[in-house]
Amino acid sequence: MQDDHRLSTSELEMKYGTSIDKGLSSARAAEILARDGPNALTPPKATPEIVKFLKQMIGGFSILLWIGAGFSWISFGIQLAQGVDSAFDNLYLGVVLALVVILTGIFAYYQEAKSTNIMASFSKMIPQVRATVDNSSLTGESEPQSRSCDFTHENPLETRNIAFYSTTCVEGTATGIVINTGDRTIIGRIASLASGVGNEKTPIAIEIEHFVYLVAGVAISIGVLFFIISVSMRYKILDSIIFLIGIIVANVPEGLLATVTVSLSLTAKRMAKKNCLVKNLEAVETLGSTSIICSDKTGTLTQNRMTVAHLWFDNQIYSADTSEDQTTQPFDQSSPTWTALSKIVTLCNRAEFRPGQENLPIMKRVVVGDASETALLKFSEVILGDVMSIRAQNRKVAEIPFNSTNKFQLSIHETDDPQDKRFLLVMKGAPERILERCSTIMINGKEEPLDSEKAEAFQTAYMELGGMGERVLGFCHLYLPENEFPETFQFDTDSMNFPTSNLCFVGLLSMIDPPRSTVPDAVSKCRSAGIKVIMVTGDHPITAKAIAKSVGIISATSETVEDIAKRLNIPVEQVNRREATAAVVNGMELKDMSSEQLDEILRNHTEIVFARTSPQQKLIIVEGCQRQVRQAWQSVIYVPPALICATSQGSVVAVTGDGVNDSPALKKADIGIAMGIAGSDAAKNAADMVLLDDNFASIVTGVEEGRLIFDNLKKTIAYTLTKNIAELCPFLIYIIASIPMPIGTITILFIDLGTDIIPSVALAYEKAESDIMNRRPRNKRRDRLVNQQLAVYSYLQIGIMQSVGAFVTYFTVYAEQGFLPSTLLGVRVNWENNAINDFEDSYGQQWTHYQRMYLQWTGYTAFFVSITIQQVADLIIRKTRRNSIFRQGLFRNKVIWGTETPELELSCSQVFLSEIFAPTPRFQYWFVAVPFAILIWVYDEIRKLVWALGFPPSSPVVTWIKPQH
Amino acid sequence: MAKETQKPFRQSMAEWRQFIYNPNSGEFLGRTAKSWGLILLFYLVFYGFLAALFTFTMWVMLQTLSNDIPKYRDRISSPGLMISPKPDTALEFYFNKSDSQSYAEYVTTLQNFLESYNDSKQSQNIDCARGKIFEQSEAAVKKACRFNLSDLGLCSGKEDPNFGYSKGTPCVLVKMNRIIGLKPEGEPQIQCTPKEEGMVSINYFPRDGAMDLMYFPYYGKSLHAHYLQPLVAVQLAIAPNATKEEITIECKIHGSPNLKNQDDRDKFLGRIAFKVMMSE
Repeated sequence: MQDDHRLSTSELEMKYGTSIDKGLSSARAAEILARDGPNALTPPKATPEIVKFLKQMIGGFSILLWIGAGFSWISFGIQLAQGVDSAFDNLYLGVVLALVVILTGIFAYYQEAKSTNIMASFSKMIPQVRATVDNSSLTGESEPQSRSCDFTHENPLETRNIAFYSTTCVEGTATGIVINTGDRTIIGRIASLASGVGNEKTPIAIEIEHFVYLVAGVAISIGVLFFIISVSMRYKILDSIIFLIGIIVANVPEGLLATVTVSLSLTAKRMAKKNCLVKNLEAVETLGSTSIICSDKTGTLTQNRMTVAHLWFDNQIYSADTSEDQTTQPFDQSSPTWTALSKIVTLCNRAEFRPGQENLPIMKRVVVGDASETALLKFSEVILGDVMSIRAQNRKVAEIPFNSTNKFQLSIHETDDPQDKRFLLVMKGAPERILERCSTIMINGKEEPLDSEKAEAFQTAYMELGGMGERVLGFCHLYLPENEFPETFQFDTDSMNFPTSNLCFVGLLSMIDPPRSTVPDAVSKCRSAGIKVIMVTGDHPITAKAIAKSVGIISATSETVEDIAKRLNIPVEQVNRREATAAVVNGMELKDMSSEQLDEILRNHTEIVFARTSPQQKLIIVEGCQRQVRQAWQSVIYVPPALICATSQGSVVAVTGDGVNDSPALKKADIGIAMGIAGSDAAKNAADMVLLDDNFASIVTGVEEGRLIFDNLKKTIAYTLTKNIAELCPFLIYIIASIPMPIGTITILFIDLGTDIIPSVALAYEKAESDIMNRRPRNKRRDRLVNQQLAVYSYLQIGIMQSVGAFVTYFTVYAEQGFLPSTLLGVRVNWENNAINDFEDSYGQQWTHYQRMYLQWTGYTAFFVSITIQQVADLIIRKTRRNSIFRQGLFRNKVIWGTETPELELSCSQVFLSEIFAPTPRFQYWFVAVPFAILIWVYDEIRKLVWALGFPPSSPVVTWIKPQH
Repeated sequence: MAKETQKPFRQSMAEWRQFIYNPNSGEFLGRTAKSWGLILLFYLVFYGFLAALFTFTMWVMLQTLSNDIPKYRDRISSPGLMISPKPDTALEFYFNKSDSQSYAEYVTTLQNFLESYNDSKQSQNIDCARGKIFEQSEAAVKKACRFNLSDLGLCSGKEDPNFGYSKGTPCVLVKMNRIIGLKPEGEPQIQCTPKEEGMVSINYFPRDGAMDLMYFPYYGKSLHAHYLQPLVAVQLAIAPNATKEEITIECKIHGSPNLKNQDDRDKFLGRIAFKVMMSE
C-alpha cells in the first residue's frame, strides 16, 4: 500500500491482477474474499457483558459484603448443627447481604449499560473514488479535496490519486481500483491504533477506589481489632465472627456506590440537556477536574461557516456583523460605491438558496454553493433582501465560473434599469488579480484613475485584512458601452469577446469563519477557572492566531516571540523566550521538536496555538499536555508520597476532535470530546463525551457541572459516612460493655439502603456553593474526594455526636421499661441465653427470653429513628461546606426538602410496617435525639464560623475541624 | 497520564520512616509534638463535653423515672414460667438415681432456692386471706404473704433432703415470673403433661398445682421487699420401664383467662417444657 500511489493504473492492474474495466473475475473475487475477509473493520474488542456484570458484582464493597454473607452462612451452618433456635437469622442475614450486592450490582450495570448505549452508529461507507471527496472524517480537513489520477504527494494520505475507505464522495464520479480492504485500510489502521491506546482510569474512578480502600481499610481493621478483642474477652469464635459481620455491615456504606452512580447519571442527563452527551458516566467528573483543554478551531471555537467580516471601499475599512443570528448590517451603506459593490456581490455569485426555506432565518438556510459564495449570498440577502429577484431583474447573459488558473469569476448581466441598455460586467476574485485588470477605482461613486497612491491604499487594506487571517476577495465591474455591445450581442465565454481588463475596481470583501459568540465568554471562564485552553488546528497560523485573539485564547496584551521580535525590531533568535506568554506553533516546527522541547513550550507559555497541525500531531500534543505537572502539586503535604503514589501525575487533559484520525488522541486524552455534528463515528466511538452542538462553550458548562458533582459527591459521602459511626459504635460498645445489642444488622441495612438513599442523591442537586468556576482545577493529589479531614470530621466528630444521641435514646427505652442503665452493663451472656426466662430487671420483674428480645428490637427501632432524626441535621450541615447554612438558604434546594419529607415518611413507614421484625417505638422516642441533632447543627455552624473568621490555616485546630475541602 | 513510576523499595521505606519520625522538623506521623498535643487537647475537651452532655441527659432522663415502678410495663403483660433447679445447659435433667453426685447440683440449687422460703426468713410475712387478691395499693409499706414450705409436701426438702432424686421421683419447682401489678383472674393452677404416655405420673404440691391469688399483685422490689412468689412443686414419679428414656414434660398455667399460655413465638409465656432422663 505504501507505494501503490506511485504506480500507474496499468502497473496497478498488473499488481492486483485486475482490470479497470472488467474488475476481478467472480472466482478471483471469491478467492480474495476468502483470503482477506469482508471489507469491514474488526469491531474493537469489547469486554463480554457477563464479565462487566461480574465486575460489578465483586467490585467496590461487594467483596466485603460477600465475605459478610459467607460468614453468615458459615455461622448458620454451625449454629444449625448445634441446634440453636436463632440459626436462621444468620441464614437470612446472609441472603439479605447477597441480595444487596446483587441488586446494587445489577443497578450499577444497568446504569453503565444505559449510558454506553446512547451512541448508535450510523456509518455509511462508500468505497468509491474520484472527483471531490470529503476527507473530513479521516483527516479533519473541512474542505472537500479533489481527486485525480496523478501522483501528487509522497505521503499516501496527501496524494490525490487515493481515496479512502470511510470518506464520502461529495460530487462527481470516478472509477478506482481497490487496493486494500477492511483492517488494512488507513482507517482500519487508525482504528487499531486507537484501540491500542490504553484507556486510563478516570479521576473519579481513582477517587472512588481510594474511598473504597479507605472505608474498607477502616472496616477491616476495626473488624479484625474487635475480633481479636472479643476472642481475648473469651467470646466464642462463632460470636466473634457474627460481631465481625456486624462491624463490616455497619462500616460499609452499602447504598453509596449506587448513590454515586445515580448522582453521576443525573448530572449526565443535565449535561445532555446542555449539549454534552456523556458516554461514560465517570467522564462527568473528569471534565470537572480538567486542567487543559485542547480544542479544535473550526466548528468548535468558530461557527464553521464563512462570513463576511470586513469590507473595504472608498478607502475605508468597514466591519460587518459576524454573529450567528445577524439580521441587519450596521455599517454605513449610504455611499454609491456600496451600491455598486453590493450589485457585484449579488450578481457575481452562483450560490443559491435551496427552495422552500423562506420562513427560516437567513443564516440558517441551506445554500447550494461553496463556502465563500454562500457567505456572500447570505451577506447580500441580509442587506438587500430578496437576492433571487434582483438576479432575475438583472438577467445573466454570460458567465465564466471560478477556476484556479484564472482565479476570478465573471458574469455579464442586463441591467434592471429599462432605460439603460448597457450590459454590466461584474467580476470577483483574488484581489491582486482583480487589481491587475483594473485601470480605475470607484471612490464615493465616481470612477477615478487608479494611481500608485490608490494602489498603495489598496495594498495596505489588503495586507491588513489578510493579517487578520481573513480570506479577501476583490470586486470590480464595467458597464460595457452600448454601441459596441448592443442588446443583441452574443457573448462567447470561450473566445472572450468582451473586455476583461481596464475595469473599474470597486472594493474588497474579506471573510472569515468567525468565532461563536459564546466562545470568548467561555474562554475567559476557563481562564478564571485555571484551565489552560490550547487551540489545535489545521488552519494557517495567521488565521489561527486571529481567531485565538478574538476569542481570548491569546489575550489582547500578550505577545508571541515573533510579536516581540517585530516590536523590538530584533531577530527572533534574540528574543528572551520567557518574555513571551503566547506561542503560535506551526505543525512543521512541531515535527522536528523533541518531546522535551514540546514540554518546554507547554510549560513556558500560557497561551498556545498549534497551527497547521496534522491530526496525528494532536496525539503528541495531548501526551505532552498530560506530562505537565502543575506547580501547585509540588507543595509539601504531610502524607508521604508512598501513601498516594497510586495516583498518576500530570494534568487532566480534555481534547476535542472530529476526524477518524483524531481518535487516538481522543482515546489518549483523559476526556475525549467528539463533535456531534461534524464528528465521524470513529471519533464518537473513541470519545468519552459528544458535544451535540459542537460548541466550545458547552464544554465549559460541562466543566462547571463536573466540578459541582465532585463537590456534591463529597457532601454525599460525608453525609453517608457520618452515620456509619452511629452504626458501628453499638457493636463496639456491645462487645466491650456487654450490653444488649443496640441495633441489628438488618436495621443498619434499612438505614443504608432505605432512608438514607434519597437524601444522599438529593445532595447531588445542591447548587454550587461558591463560584466554582473561580478556583483552580482540582489537584488530583491533594483534593481527594475523601480526605483525612472529611473522614476525621465525619467519623470522629459528627459521627460520635450522633452515636451519643442514639445511645441516649437506647438507654431511655430500656430504662423506661425497667432496665436502668446500670443493670444493662455486662448482662449480654445472660440476656441472650434463651434458657434464662426469669431475667430480673431493676424493679424485680422477671422477663422471658422472648420478652427481652422484643424489648431489644424496640431498642433497634428507637436507635434507628434516632439516627434518622440526626441524619436530618447531618443533611442540613452537609448542604454547604463553608458557607453558613443561613447564607446558602436553608430552603433553596427544593429537592432536599422534597426528599427530606419522604425520608422521614419512609422511616416512619418502615418502622410501622416492620412490626413483624421490630416493634414500633413510642412516639416520644422520635424526639429524644432532637437536642443532639440541634447540637450537630450548632456545632457545624460554629465550625463554619471559625472558618469564616479565618484562624491561621496552619493551626491544628483548624486543620482538624476545617471543612472538608 | 504519566506512567506511574515504581519507586525502589528502599526509597519508599525511607519515606515511611521519614513520615513516622522526621528528625529535621521533629514531626511525628506528619505532625509536631505541639500539634499533636493541641489535637489531643481538642479531642479531650470535645469528648469531655460530649461525655458531660451524655451524663447530663441521662440524669435528666432518670429523674423522670420512679424508683418504685417502671414507666411502662407493656412489654411484659403476661408472665413467663420458669423452673428450679435450672440445669446449666438447657432445660434437661440427666441423673442417675443411684449416683448422688449426678444430682447433687440439683439438690443444692433447690436447697439454696428454698432458703428464702424458710420460716425463719418469713418472720415479717403475714398470713393472708386465701383465694383472693391481696390489694394493698393504699398502704405505704407493702406486706408480703407467707408461703409455707410445708405446702410443698414431699418436695419441701424437709422430709426428703434429696427432693426425691434418689428415689426416682425427682421434684421440680415451677414458678411464675414476677410482674408488677399483675392480678391473675380465676384460679390459676399449674398443669404438667408428659409428652409420652405411661412413663411418668405427676404429683403436685400444693394440691392441683394451685397458685393462690393472695400472692398477687406484686408491688416491685423497693416497695415489696420481702415478697415471695408462690411455688408449685411437681414431683415426677418415673415408671421403672421409663428409665434411660427421655421424657418431655410441658407445664402450663391454666384456669386464669388473663395469663397467656399459648404464644407462638414465646415458648415460655405461661408455659415451660423440660426433659428428664433418669438412669439407674
